[in-house]
Amino acid sequence: MSVVSIAAAFLLAAGLSGGSASAAAAEPLKIELIPSPSNPSAPRIGDALMFRSVIRNDGQKAISGVIAWVSLLEVDPGKEHPVDLEDWSAQKAVVLAQIASGQTAETKWHLRLIQSGKYWISVVAASTADAVDRISGPVASPSVAFTVASKPVVETGRVLPIASGVPLAIGALLLWRGARGRRRRPTPKDAGG
Amino acid sequence: MDEKMPGAISMVRRRCGRSVPYPPRGLTGALTIASKEGSELLMNQRGLLWLLVTCLVLSAFALLLVSDTELGLLDNAQVVYDMVGLVISLGALLTLVVGADAIGGEQDRGSLVPLLLAPLPRSALLLGKLGGQLVAWTAMLIIALPYLWAVGSTGQNLAAGIACLILLGTPIVLMFGCLGLALGAKFLSARSALTVGLVVLILAASPAMLGPGLRQTAIGVAVDWVNPFSAILNAVDAVVIDSEPALTQTTPFAVAFAWLLLALWYARRTVSRLTGSPQ
Repeated sequence: MSVVSIAAAFLLAAGLSGGSASAAAAEPLKIELIPSPSNPSAPRIGDALMFRSVIRNDGQKAISGVIAWVSLLEVDPGKEHPVDLEDWSAQKAVVLAQIASGQTAETKWHLRLIQSGKYWISVVAASTADAVDRISGPVASPSVAFTVASKPVVETGRVLPIASGVPLAIGALLLWRGARGRRRRPTPKDAGG
Repeated sequence: MDEKMPGAISMVRRRCGRSVPYPPRGLTGALTIASKEGSELLMNQRGLLWLLVTCLVLSAFALLLVSDTELGLLDNAQVVYDMVGLVISLGALLTLVVGADAIGGEQDRGSLVPLLLAPLPRSALLLGKLGGQLVAWTAMLIIALPYLWAVGSTGQNLAAGIACLILLGTPIVLMFGCLGLALGAKFLSARSALTVGLVVLILAASPAMLGPGLRQTAIGVAVDWVNPFSAILNAVDAVVIDSEPALTQTTPFAVAFAWLLLALWYARRTVSRLTGSPQ
């Protein structure tokens, strides 16, 4: 495992808010990320996964303007990088108007698997409200790891007959029309009668 | 009676082998011309060549998908999206060429004046020529269906992709047909109309070649808003890849439809001013 992946693993495992013990103690927001029981056990490209996030306000005051979003990290050796969610999910973020003290907010996150590899997913939340100015940064859920197996989605057995058959059929039609046209065309001898 | 008819109409009546009222009026005249244009595109040997070329392009793309390891791992929805974009681009190119030839080509072949002398309203002439383009586009759609099935039937959103191709692709394809027709009527030359039309097509279709990164810049966003090609591709992306409902794509459809109406208005204006001699 490379240095980058170790660092990323540390950040995700500890949560982005876990920089220091005192900061962690002050965090009123807690996030849990739970994979759906219906998720395939060995997901492949093209499958869909669903996760449920539960954001809880453990603080004394209501928190408003909470933005939650999905963070997806590829952790394959040599390919460690955050994944652009374009094509993976149409649901990039949600805005929760307010979470009262002691209350929770649930959100479902749908993910379609586009590329094979090892991934860690987490949900990050931050509030823009003044009441939580003391929060030094966004709060992240513990990450959930999953592996996507590759799948050749375009089947040769279907493509080859179509890719060769249709042009051949049109080509045959062309030749037939050409031969028919030549037979019908009057020769100079015919014209001379 | 046939001997006194203008050439194009009498030829159509003989070729169609059915009763066409003379003088043809309004919709009947338009249908007559549309049937002539359509039969030239589908039954004529030279006309069939474009159909073969379309097949070869789609076959090449499909074979590339199965022969290239990386491309073969593309998600089905991505493949359907790519193929829908390719078919729409080919359709726009086809109708542009057919449209440029509709008036400009008639002038080049010396058959425009007899056509204009036919007792047909200019609107019927325009409708008939557009009808021919619609026949060609329909043939291309039928050709594309087995390819879409071959590359996309093992995944999701194939039906949505086909619906997008028909509902969102048709306005943009006909828009380029109208543009070609209007340019042909304006320049009275298929070559000039085609040159200008191709430049417009390449500019409009450039989003199909640009990556998402470039399209997120301020200029890219502005182009996406006004460019019908971008609007349609974004809508196909949303429906086929992101699985959004097709009925929510009203704005891209409205953009494409507005451009179609504008091109139709321009085509009608130029065709109604046709005299058969350069202005």
